[in-house]
Amino acid sequence: MPEPTPRDAFLRGVRELLPATPGVFAWGLVTGVAMVKSGLTIPQATGLSLMAYAGSAQLAALPLIAGAAPVWVVAFTALIVNLRFLVYAAYIRGGFAHLSAGRRAFLGYVVGDVMFVRYVALLTLEPKYPQRVAYYLGAAAANWIAWQVASILGIVGADVIPTDWGLELAGTLALVALVVPLCAQRPALAGVVVASAVAVAARGLPLRLGLLLAVICGMAAALAVESTEGPKGKAGHTAQPDPESAAPHPSTAALPGAPEHRP
Amino acid sequence: MSELELWLCFVLITLATIATRSGLLLAGRRLVIPPRVESALRYAPACALAAIIAPDLLLADGQLQLGLGNARLLAGAAGIAIFLLSRSTIGTIFGGMAAFWLLKFGLPC
Repeated sequence: MPEPTPRDAFLRGVRELLPATPGVFAWGLVTGVAMVKSGLTIPQATGLSLMAYAGSAQLAALPLIAGAAPVWVVAFTALIVNLRFLVYAAYIRGGFAHLSAGRRAFLGYVVGDVMFVRYVALLTLEPKYPQRVAYYLGAAAANWIAWQVASILGIVGADVIPTDWGLELAGTLALVALVVPLCAQRPALAGVVVASAVAVAARGLPLRLGLLLAVICGMAAALAVESTEGPKGKAGHTAQPDPESAAPHPSTAALPGAPEHRP
Repeated sequence: MSELELWLCFVLITLATIATRSGLLLAGRRLVIPPRVESALRYAPACALAAIIAPDLLLADGQLQLGLGNARLLAGAAGIAIFLLSRSTIGTIFGGMAAFWLLKFGLPC
């Protein structure tokens, strides 16, 4: 197989994100509408969307802003709601360690839930993929554009877009399509079951801390199942690609990702 | 909240986002993540997705709703079935939404 150019890799990133864009789009739309409905003007809502690019933090901040909560409470809430990104950053940092600080900061800033899952799927299939930065940028660019276009449409059209159609469900369904293929691995399936149960059980926790707790419990459950499976589980150790890492184990290579987009 | 305070809020939300997303990447090699934590991180996507999806589908008005009255849960189940059969993300999104609207608004005729 010929070495992919950065352009190939960028376009592959865009292409592999495309199937999930209707979901990202629906979410952006709903977030845009919610910002205006909570009292922000069109320039304010657009500014927040373009600056923060953080749907769940924006949604969590809205009622606080509307209720004139202290500024530090708003900032703290955004920080806690975003804590899952620490987990994402811990994963991607290994692949980007050779880049300048500015580029690393930028790549971290543009991470999103959907493109992160795509990027992990790529590294699981091809741990030594040479153009991973370009791939990541392509997926991130597609994610960003889908989100911002939808968000601004939602902001501008807040008065005409119906809120009782349950459009945000489209975003959830896009995530369903991402998570189902990951469940083919037994440890991941255990993680999914535990994380789901904890997220529902801990829904009463403030600041969406239940989400973070669920992720941590899910990862612990997945590790526990992996360790009962013996050495087989070790083969999937591709989280931080390094020159010594072995080729992906066949059992993990077949799992994540969208088969319809593999050449 | 004044206009100035509002924009201060936006700047702080943005900084909170950058801190969580870029902070660890800027820590560089000085920060060593234990191997066990590193191997747990491979399961982060699946767990994070599940933790976002489950409350959306299983809760209605903040309460656990596992019955046939929960249209979002049934739409999610339809989405899973469609994905398993077709492996299509687009099909999952549009099929799931179609199921949801049928349940919520009834048949068009």
